[in-house]
Amino acid sequence: MIEIQDVVKRYRELAAVDHVSLKIDKGEKIVIIGPSGSGKTTLLKMINFLETMDSGKILLQGKEVGYHKDRNNRLVLDKQEVICRFRSEIGMVFQHFHLFPHMTALQNVMEGPITVKKESRKKVQAIALDLLKKVDLLDKKDAYPAFLSGGQKQRLAIARALAMRPMIMLFDEPTSALDPELVGEVFNTIKDLASEGMTMLIVTHQMGFAREIADRVIFMDNGKFIFEGLPSDVFSDKMDNPRVKNFLAKVL
Amino acid sequence: MEIKSHVSVRCCTLTLFLLLLVCNGINAQQADPYETLAEGTRYLQEGDLDAALEFFQKVPAPGENEEGGVFVRSRMEAAKIYFSYQDFNNSSRMCKEILAVLPDNLEAKNMLSHIETSLTPRWLRFLTDMKKYMPTLLKASSMTLLLVIITMLASPVIGLFIALARISRSRSLSSICWFYIWIFRGTPLLLQLFFIYYGLPQLGLTLNPFSAAILGLVLNYSAYLAEIIRGGIESIDSGQMEAAKAIGMTYWQAMRRVIVPQTYKRLMPPIGNEFIALIKDTALVSTIAMVELMRAADQIFNVTFNIFILIQAAIIYLIMTSFFTIAFRRLEDRLGVYENR
Repeated sequence: MIEIQDVVKRYRELAAVDHVSLKIDKGEKIVIIGPSGSGKTTLLKMINFLETMDSGKILLQGKEVGYHKDRNNRLVLDKQEVICRFRSEIGMVFQHFHLFPHMTALQNVMEGPITVKKESRKKVQAIALDLLKKVDLLDKKDAYPAFLSGGQKQRLAIARALAMRPMIMLFDEPTSALDPELVGEVFNTIKDLASEGMTMLIVTHQMGFAREIADRVIFMDNGKFIFEGLPSDVFSDKMDNPRVKNFLAKVL
Repeated sequence: MEIKSHVSVRCCTLTLFLLLLVCNGINAQQADPYETLAEGTRYLQEGDLDAALEFFQKVPAPGENEEGGVFVRSRMEAAKIYFSYQDFNNSSRMCKEILAVLPDNLEAKNMLSHIETSLTPRWLRFLTDMKKYMPTLLKASSMTLLLVIITMLASPVIGLFIALARISRSRSLSSICWFYIWIFRGTPLLLQLFFIYYGLPQLGLTLNPFSAAILGLVLNYSAYLAEIIRGGIESIDSGQMEAAKAIGMTYWQAMRRVIVPQTYKRLMPPIGNEFIALIKDTALVSTIAMVELMRAADQIFNVTFNIFILIQAAIIYLIMTSFFTIAFRRLEDRLGVYENR
């Protein structure tokens, strides 16, 4: 469904993402693990065009999208309208939620469909209330984000992303900013979503969660995919890649 | 003369001689009133008030002497000298003597009312002045308020667009706005007002004082507010723009729906501050022929020399600034309902 080919992103000399390719099929759940600064977040943002790539390809349903070449043969993002259309089909959940603080929970969820898709308020409100119910926040629909707990905020952020009816959801360390006792509720929400067949790409440091949800686990370091395999392979004792073994020994 | 006809010629001659003598004596004692007035006036011109007063007082009342004009003039001069000595009793006595003979004499009447004012306690006079000029000052205040409100409505809107242009990716747009802000923040408002009102007519654009004042204030305050608003926009967490884009918003949709609304609350204190300054800055437009509170107070002060007029104007300014301070505080609280504090 979504494919990236040989993608490179450099910050000056440092290659944040270094010739990475990844193919995500419909309904697949992929978890990316790896140490901080290994390029996981950058990779996620590139799929959403929030970061531009220096070279490589992004394919949507087999079609190359989002970039064209300028006179100097450099990759340039397409016009904003085109990019926005792709983005609206890709849901993203951030580590620090980035909810809109001046809007109530309900308004946060409704904002995308109303402003971007120009759907009727009535229709959107019904969908939004459904979503709030799904993430168990219906009683908080009129609360502002500042009055929600971390777990509630992240569940609201998931609902906001889902309101656009995306074909894929990107999770960027969704539980890293949460108190430990709030992690579970967010994972449960994500698991529910997974069981509904949502395609997901998840960056996380929670190995237990990765093992539970992933169809495939990717270990990323220094901008490269070091290891790629089934969770049972990665988290097994037979794991022979020393870099991965070393990392897992530290986090588990 | 009748007596003289009944006595003998010798007697008559003697009596005539004696009478002449006596009359001469009297004449020597009672000098010519014109001469006395002239003498007094001479001393007055030399600045010797005491000597002048002595002569003016010598001029007799018109009963003994038919020369009313001389009497009135010398009494009046004496009254003035007494007044300058702050001897209000004698001064008013002089005036009253004139009025006893000539009840309609305007000069004496004015002098008397002048004496009366001088005898009123100063604070009472100030209070009377304040009451008398209150309507004028209030009318002028409404002009000040009008200038303030128009500028308050126009400059944040213009300032917002300049701020957005300033941070836009278009180099030329950004530098035009930078230049505008540079000019209007970097030169005195007074100079800008002078340029618009006195300078632009030379370039073929003549504005009435009101338009010139509005133009000057709005241009100046838009520049200030643009920088404040730009700071407000840039203070919003970059994650907000990212999140807005992630759900598919364009840059302008994100600005309009997500970024700019979040600046309102945090912009209230600095913008409120600017508007307080604005209320006081409107006093500057008095220099381009606008009659507003400062100008009116100045004009009245020049007539009355009553410092209470200035205090009165100060109080009106204080009422206006206090009102807006409280209003902005309330607005800030109301805009911050979404914050958990």
